[in-house]
Amino acid sequence: MSLPTFKLLRPRTVEEAVGMLHRYQDDIQICAGGTDLLPSMKQRLFTPKFLMDIRGIDGLERIRVTPGLGVELGALTTLSAVEDSGFIHRHYPVLHEAVKTVASPILRNMGTMGGNICLDTRCLWYNQSLQWRKSCGFCIKKDGDLCHVAPGGKKCWAAFSADTPAALLCLSAEVNVASPSGFRRIAIADLYTNDGVNRIKLAKNEMITSIYLPEASAGYSGAYKKLRIRGSIDYPLAGVAVALKKKGKIVEDVKVAITGVNPAPHLVPDALHALVGRELNEHAATVVGELASRVAKPLTTSLLTPEYRREIIRVYTKRAVMAAGAAT
Amino acid sequence: MTSLKKNDFSVIGKPIAMIDSAGKVTGQGKYADDLSVPGMLIGKILHSHLPHALIKKIDASRALALDGVVTVVIGTDAPNTYGILPVGHDETALAVEKVRYVGDNVACVVAESESIAEAALELIDVEYEPLPAWFDPEDSMEAQANFIHEQRPNNIEKDYHHVFGDPDAGFAQADVVLEGRYIANEVTHAAMEPHCTLAAFEFDSHTGREGRLTVQSSTQVPYYLQHKLSIVLEMPMSQIRVIKPLVGGGFGGKSEIIPLEIIAAVAARKAKAPVKITYTREEVFLAHRGRPRTIIDLKTGVKKDGSITAVAAKVIQDGGAYCSYGVVTILYSGALLGALYDIPNIKYDGFRVLTNKPACGAMRGHGTVNVRFAFESQLDELAGKINMDPVSIRRKNLLKPPCITVNGLRVQSYGLPECIDVVARESKWAERRTKLGKGRGLGMACSHYVSGAASSIIRSDMPHSTVNIKIDRDGGVIIYTGASDIGQGSDTMVAQIAAEVLGCKMNRIKVVAADTDLTPVDIGSYSSRVTFMNGNATLRAAEDIKKRIVAAAALKMACAPEDVIMRDDLVYKKGVAPVAPKQENAPTVSGHVEGQILRGSVQQKRKDEGPKERMSFEEAVTAAMDNTGALGGTGSYAPPVEAKGGKHKGGGVGPSPAYSYSAQVADVTVDEETGEVTVNKIWAAHDCGRALNPVSVEGQVIGSVWMGLGQALQEEFVWKDGLLMNPSMLEYKSPSSTESPEIESFIVESIDPEGPFGAKEASEGSLAAAIPAISNAIYDAVGVRLRECPFSPERVLSAIRAKNGQKKIEMTNRVDPTAPHKMREHGGSTWYKGKGPQRHADDPSRKTTTEVPAAD
Ligand SMILES: Cc1cc2nc3c(=O)[nH]c(=O)nc-3n(C[C@H](O)[C@H](O)[C@H](O)COP(=O)(O)OP(=O)(O)OC[C@H]3O[C@@H](n4cnc5c(N)ncnc54)[C@H](O)[C@@H]3O)c2cc1C
Ligand code: SF4
Repeated sequence: MSLPTFKLLRPRTVEEAVGMLHRYQDDIQICAGGTDLLPSMKQRLFTPKFLMDIRGIDGLERIRVTPGLGVELGALTTLSAVEDSGFIHRHYPVLHEAVKTVASPILRNMGTMGGNICLDTRCLWYNQSLQWRKSCGFCIKKDGDLCHVAPGGKKCWAAFSADTPAALLCLSAEVNVASPSGFRRIAIADLYTNDGVNRIKLAKNEMITSIYLPEASAGYSGAYKKLRIRGSIDYPLAGVAVALKKKGKIVEDVKVAITGVNPAPHLVPDALHALVGRELNEHAATVVGELASRVAKPLTTSLLTPEYRREIIRVYTKRAVMAAGAAT
Repeated sequence: MTSLKKNDFSVIGKPIAMIDSAGKVTGQGKYADDLSVPGMLIGKILHSHLPHALIKKIDASRALALDGVVTVVIGTDAPNTYGILPVGHDETALAVEKVRYVGDNVACVVAESESIAEAALELIDVEYEPLPAWFDPEDSMEAQANFIHEQRPNNIEKDYHHVFGDPDAGFAQADVVLEGRYIANEVTHAAMEPHCTLAAFEFDSHTGREGRLTVQSSTQVPYYLQHKLSIVLEMPMSQIRVIKPLVGGGFGGKSEIIPLEIIAAVAARKAKAPVKITYTREEVFLAHRGRPRTIIDLKTGVKKDGSITAVAAKVIQDGGAYCSYGVVTILYSGALLGALYDIPNIKYDGFRVLTNKPACGAMRGHGTVNVRFAFESQLDELAGKINMDPVSIRRKNLLKPPCITVNGLRVQSYGLPECIDVVARESKWAERRTKLGKGRGLGMACSHYVSGAASSIIRSDMPHSTVNIKIDRDGGVIIYTGASDIGQGSDTMVAQIAAEVLGCKMNRIKVVAADTDLTPVDIGSYSSRVTFMNGNATLRAAEDIKKRIVAAAALKMACAPEDVIMRDDLVYKKGVAPVAPKQENAPTVSGHVEGQILRGSVQQKRKDEGPKERMSFEEAVTAAMDNTGALGGTGSYAPPVEAKGGKHKGGGVGPSPAYSYSAQVADVTVDEETGEVTVNKIWAAHDCGRALNPVSVEGQVIGSVWMGLGQALQEEFVWKDGLLMNPSMLEYKSPSSTESPEIESFIVESIDPEGPFGAKEASEGSLAAAIPAISNAIYDAVGVRLRECPFSPERVLSAIRAKNGQKKIEMTNRVDPTAPHKMREHGGSTWYKGKGPQRHADDPSRKTTTEVPAAD
């Protein structure tokens, strides 16, 4: 399968890049590591007239620690760089746990944090070749009018299938967004729409330049559990991240987030109430598992059945909470 | 020969690196897609997006108008039918009147580049008239009209009904009889190299008419390809040269003619230029020819002492849209109920059914794997019922060879008892079983396979393998073999055999293989026939040529030919110490000065010497050539008539000159909350007769077990209304290294009386046992008996929850994996209230809208 034809743009600065985005709007696509975008282009899921390779922009590939503020991860920082960072491992273990489960070592060498956060949503009826999609009559997400997994509705339920955003949610991360009019900073929780088609709230002339991990989130213990059939090179069929802080045996603060099941990664809202101020035990963890499985709304977007994935969210959440508790 | 011991050999039985491995690891070796020739064009195939439809019209004018497009080929360009089996000529290069599965071949664009060809595919206008389609074999068998092939009423490709012994009486004698339905889902080969073919005609420069055709293709069967090309192109075989370059794995997926091979040739003829087609991975999945989804209704009876009294099996195979090897597959499924254990009474009803899906064909363990899963699972269950150890019940039912089974299979060498002993001992079966704690268990199972078929599928009396050997004046040995090395190492195997017989060093040997212009006929690399048959032919060719060398050497050494020994690059008289003559240790190439090639130093020296006691290999060869000018030998192999089996209909499939045996123990841990199964270790013992190359045998055994492991735990085709939901390596979950357990292999050598140096099959027989060994271990671990494979976590979990009486969660699409009644379809809806693909009103997609959980 060959790539569709496009014109390659290689901006040197963020200003130049957002200028190009502004100029070409619907006809342009950002390419970072390309690990997700290029295979999708071969499948003709995207056929942009202009492909903007942002790897030539200086300063976007770094991990910068500012004492008192936190850490800034440039959008082009590779997943391997994050995985290998001892600082991240020590202070933000949940991100370390999540990042090392992404794809395979080779893909992590190419794949970037920005690309991971902005990953397209996935569905078995969508991530297929053009030829294949013709045979199912296409679908709402691309070229069609029917959603094969929820045929009564008008919405796309493709699952958001990146690993690190669940960890970033637990860390209350923020992203820096550049546009021709300057920069804005938003919480990662506000980046996602929960709509399978327009997955992120970025304007057409915007791009992400970095991710902030606040210093307040440092030192939380963490765990990430990921459901996959193969031990490597599998997108998450369900993923759970937990960041937890204890004082003695008592839970002081906790965040739980799930990914891989809904069109967006989600924080489990009531996890805090179930755990904070209590001693961590199997029972409490089980309650959080129940809460998480109520947030999970998987549909038949993947090979495993939705019912199984939801059940696994329950079990893995319980286990991740226990593991994070044990790690402190 | 069978009495020879390991250290009687110089080359045989030694772990030797594959002779082509350096080229492969350095990238020097050329696979089909690495090849290109001047003026070569690229072909891309347009596939059907409908499962069953009449083709009303194909209009390629818009595609032809695209710059860079040379031609578009359609079905009517080459309408002759072909198929791998003489009874199954139901394929055409490209669909002629109708398409029969999503992915069927409709047209082929030939263009200057891949991207132009791909763009042109979108410009071909095809008008279809949809027909009702059949996706479930049990439904398909009920069809009254709209048959997939007109000549196959009820969509039944073939059915067989065999009775051996007296099954009714057998079941009456049994103390316990169990019956159950088992379902094995569909799997495919997933060879690393996608299929690729490069076809080029010679054209007469005056008339422009096409002359000879050369096809280089990723194939396991170059001679069959030559034959089928001659049928479709209406050319004599002698005008067609098929060359097999390096092949990156086949496992059966290249053991018949794959559509692109014919299409490339037809396209090259029409384009008047060389054409190369390489499948995308998705196309590899659609070309398929893998192991069919199979329903097995199995009944087995045993006495209290564990002896099996009778077996009855009804097998339905979901064969896909074309015959392919189907008739053979369904026969193997019945025949190979025999020759593993002593079963006095067998009843078999086999149905090969056509459905509107990619054709299934031969895949490693062809025909036996799914039935073996059912049988070994049921035997385990029976052992439980009579309170017998699973190892003991297998020991109780051993054959007593030499013998002929009730269904006509001749068994001579039989290493199964030792295989069972070895894995029971090494896994500490008796000590560890039942003491592994919660969620962990051991399971055992056995399997076997043929070493080639005693009767070939082409129904000819011709030898199945012939090999020529030529020796050059400087002692270089060239073996011309039709055997197709597809990564399994047949080139190395023939080199070893020839080196052993000729008593020469391996580095003298060059193998020219699988080139129909140069090498004599070998019917191909399938059914594990190559070592046994081509190995025997090589052995005979080497002995033939050796006779001549020995005769000449005997003259020089003034002794009887019987007293000449050839070994380790030396030729010497019996009784003489085999030390190398001085200065001639290394095989030197004679003559360095140009023009003196034929009168080298060896020849010069020879003149001054009188009769001798020992000579170098080169000297002996030169002596032999002095008489004949050329030195060549030929050998061939045809299986003996005694091995050809019973006279019943279909009795030709199953009989083999020799069977390999395997016994395995799996150690698994099951997570009871998630259903995830971890295989901790597998012990596998394989009886391969004699291990000609032990590392190679171990590799094959480990590979077989690993492939079985994939089918056991995670590989399956997921279907929805004839759509293959996972046609990619990402979604078709072959195990990756992280979840591959340690597989410890043990070689058992039963030394077959007819195999070359006693060797027999090594690369398929160990696959089948892995699946039931794992399911039996899961039962041992958590007490659930899974009758549907793969044992994916959702299946395992749903079985565990049911057993523990936990709240039911419907997570297996209403097919209970402990009692599967029908084949499972993926959830969701292909078609809904007028939206979706263009399908016939009676198409299953329009009837089976699944209930969708309310989405908010
Ligand atoms: C076989 C395979 C397995 C995989 N498994 C996993 C997995 O297990 N878990 C997982 O999370 N991912 C997985 N991936 C997806 C992918 O490799 C990673 O998510 C990776 O981090 C993507 O980063 P990238 O730089 O390659 O993104 P790209 O492919 O370059 O881009 C992805 C998307 O993000 C957009 N984008 C990129 N950078 C920016 C930016 N700075 N601002 C705005 N938009 C941007 C692009 O336009 C595009 O839409 C897998 C991919 C493959 C091919
Ligand atoms: S969820 Fe529905 S609309 Fe979205 S990709 Fe899947 S089938 Fe298409």
